Amino acid sequence: MTKKVAVVEVAQMPGAESSDNFLDQVYRVCKEVLDKAGVSREEVGTVVSASSDVFHGGISCANAYYWDSGAGFLKSGTRQDGESLLAFQYGVMRILTGHYDTALVFGVCKGSENPPNDEITHFFTDPFYQRQIGLNETYAAALQMREYLNTYKITEEQCAGVVVKNLGNALRNPYAHIRKKVTLDEVMKSKRIMAPLKKMECAPKSEGFVALLLASEKKAKKLTNNPVWFKGFGSSMDTFYLGDRNLLKGQLENAAKRAYSMAGIKNPRKEIQLAEVTEPYAFQELLWCEDLGFCDRGKGAKFLESGATQIDGDLPVNPSGGVLSTNAYVCRGLYRLAEVVLQIKRQAGERQVDRKIKTGLAHGTHGFAGQFHAVAILGS
Amino acid sequence: MGNAVAIIGSGQTKHGRRNDVTYPDLVREAVQAALENTGLTMDDVDGVVYGSMPSMMEGVAMTHFYFADALRTVGKPMMKTETCGTTGMSLAHTGYYWIASGLADVVMVVGSEKMYEGDSQATMSTVMEPYYLRSFLAGAPGIFAMQVHEWTARYNIPSEKARDAAAKISVDHHMDALDNPHAHIKVKLTMDDVRNSRVITYPFRLWDICPNSDGACAIILASAKKAKKMCKKPAWIKGIGFCGDEYWYGDSDKVSWKCAMEAVKQAYDMAGIKNPRKELDVAEVYNPFTFVELLHYECFGFCDPGEACDLALKGVFSRGGELPCDPSGGTLCTNPIGATALIRVAEAAMQVSGLAGDHQIPGANMAFAHGLGGLSEFNGIMILGSKL
Amino acid sequence: MTKNYGTLKHTVWLPYNFAVGPVFLRFYEGLKEGKILGNQCLKCKKTLVPARTFCPSCNVDMGDWREVSQEGNIVSWIVANEPFLGMPIDPPFIAALIRLDGTDCSFLHLVGGFDTDTLNKKIKKGTRVRAHWRTEKKGHLMDIQYFKPK
Repeated sequence: MTKKVAVVEVAQMPGAESSDNFLDQVYRVCKEVLDKAGVSREEVGTVVSASSDVFHGGISCANAYYWDSGAGFLKSGTRQDGESLLAFQYGVMRILTGHYDTALVFGVCKGSENPPNDEITHFFTDPFYQRQIGLNETYAAALQMREYLNTYKITEEQCAGVVVKNLGNALRNPYAHIRKKVTLDEVMKSKRIMAPLKKMECAPKSEGFVALLLASEKKAKKLTNNPVWFKGFGSSMDTFYLGDRNLLKGQLENAAKRAYSMAGIKNPRKEIQLAEVTEPYAFQELLWCEDLGFCDRGKGAKFLESGATQIDGDLPVNPSGGVLSTNAYVCRGLYRLAEVVLQIKRQAGERQVDRKIKTGLAHGTHGFAGQFHAVAILGS
Repeated sequence: MGNAVAIIGSGQTKHGRRNDVTYPDLVREAVQAALENTGLTMDDVDGVVYGSMPSMMEGVAMTHFYFADALRTVGKPMMKTETCGTTGMSLAHTGYYWIASGLADVVMVVGSEKMYEGDSQATMSTVMEPYYLRSFLAGAPGIFAMQVHEWTARYNIPSEKARDAAAKISVDHHMDALDNPHAHIKVKLTMDDVRNSRVITYPFRLWDICPNSDGACAIILASAKKAKKMCKKPAWIKGIGFCGDEYWYGDSDKVSWKCAMEAVKQAYDMAGIKNPRKELDVAEVYNPFTFVELLHYECFGFCDPGEACDLALKGVFSRGGELPCDPSGGTLCTNPIGATALIRVAEAAMQVSGLAGDHQIPGANMAFAHGLGGLSEFNGIMILGSKL
Repeated sequence: MTKNYGTLKHTVWLPYNFAVGPVFLRFYEGLKEGKILGNQCLKCKKTLVPARTFCPSCNVDMGDWREVSQEGNIVSWIVANEPFLGMPIDPPFIAALIRLDGTDCSFLHLVGGFDTDTLNKKIKKGTRVRAHWRTEKKGHLMDIQYFKPK
């Protein structure tokens, strides 16, 4: 068994929808990360992928489709559906047992082959009740946003500020999908598709191919001078019916607690230097910061306004541009993780945060109003 | 390598056509059964792993959300493992790694399917991509029929012998299912019943093929420390293996099937097994098609290539034989796909723990469980033993 | 890669028959009769609507069917302005989480009875609403046409 696992290298593809063939894209992103790490396909111990049958161009058994494109031929491997950070956790587990020295972990989601995201999220509903009312993720998020605004007396302008920050950050990220300077006014004037949510506050539908090579401590030290270490992980699931849930106090707090406990973190605000959170709806970045313990309950907007989460603040959130700029639904969690890895390795190019990142946090969520959350902690 | 892990109990639904319950209630039935059978509560469980076939099967996407309450995973960590037909086995592997890595002590894994709510063959046709394969491969039987034709040709197996061996397997397994309270298809067959049943995709006839079933299975795994406290006779995980080959059906040799051989090699090496037919007491092979089951015996090293038909006809693989296969009736009698491979694991564990009731193989100490998936693309193995 | 290689178009349509089970069947029958039926958990005594097979928090069977009030308070609401797959009616429309009197969860449904602009001005957290039914009922959530603010 090994006590420590590291991320050795990452590879990612840009989020803009592309006319490339899906299998080629899978092949190339996996090849890129293996080449970067100097590990041949034959040497890779195990492969853990993340994808989802439903965000997959109508081709079922996604893992079957891309198995050999994803370096899996005659290898032991597996797949996580839905939340790609779970593939990371599973890769870590496989190495911790000592069965494997290396694990290729990758997430794939070809936005250009899918219908609009909400046509798919609509099918998360039960056929008997919530489907008959037309529920989908944007609808659920809008209900959550209304409660957030009313309960904590937060304004719509304050929420829109997240879009300005994140899309602004994306300008420096060559992999981001939506890269444009936007003003608060433009966001506020965008169509109120599901009021109070406005079109520019909702994530796009992007292309997503991201791969990481994980290794045991001994192997990682051979492969790279700057391994990024796995420190902690936590996840948690909420109850299903929207009407049964407390939309402002979901399961992210539990997921984070578990990750912090494993990583030995007692004061996240002080001990974490960078966070990449999954914010498919702008206001959710504020709410997730509260759940993660970066600020007090109801103070997410103030936290943003303090400048702390700007790229030059003391706890930058989403220097990559976040999900608001690139939303490959299934693999966005791994994109968050990849960004944290690059920032810790000081390989984030123009968007490199200008301080030493000792500990970074990556967050993934999906489901109505964030029914499921996963949190990973990485360290230098 | 890794911490020792055991299966300390399981639960299954009454499999079959379950129009009496909604899908979440079906899942709940298996979870309740597992908790009742082990005497545990969810407070004892650190996390849940769930999986099934793709969303198109039942028309609900990301069912881990829909079933969060039925799975009793609210407030708990969760993982969602799906690998097509091998899902059930991959679920068991996920639970294994979660505990073996030291990140949990007790994990519940659940697989389910409610095939009567959708069109299963149409769904399975969507496994094939539309550029090339989808128009040609007629659902699942098409792929496996091609594999069987290759096999009989390769080893010069006369078609009557293959037909008889497959018929014997069908008769035996359907008989076995009568002793399994959870099994779906319960029918007494003769060799002629099988040989004369209607052709589905040659050489498969109706009784050579598994049913569509509604069903769920839940298994509870535990670390050595907890297993010793929580269970009288844990089934220890001695070996696991998994392998996949190409997506493109025509690429690999599916007769001398490297993917299957590699998967069992991983498991046998880990378990220290050198002569499977001698050292295994019982095998739960994932057998949706009788002929293919024979081919698998050869790939698993239960006999030499080309020999399976002769041995099957002699009763080597029947109850009372040297290596009884699928005393539960197997996939052939019960196939809620997302649960099917997990049911193989549950049944193998029950054998080793002495809990298989009327279909118990006396003195079973080492059991083999297998899962099959994709377009004849994946094999997953788990070997369970009564000794740590 | 900026070259366009074209796309292969393919549509997949699949039929489904969902087993309704006894609890939802009774709930739907209640709707046909112009009633909203919930039930109560035998352990924690919470009343949930629509009726369920089991209580999600206690994981015990629900007992005690009851006809719940058709009036309640708005907890949260949204205004849908753009069409989407599966929408219950054409936008613009308002959907809300409504806490029906005497129940312990929110009920998701539409708010109507006035034009959307008027509704938008009328509604706030806590606004009282009452169910307004269609004349022809099919045993479907939309037998309730909307909840109307008082």
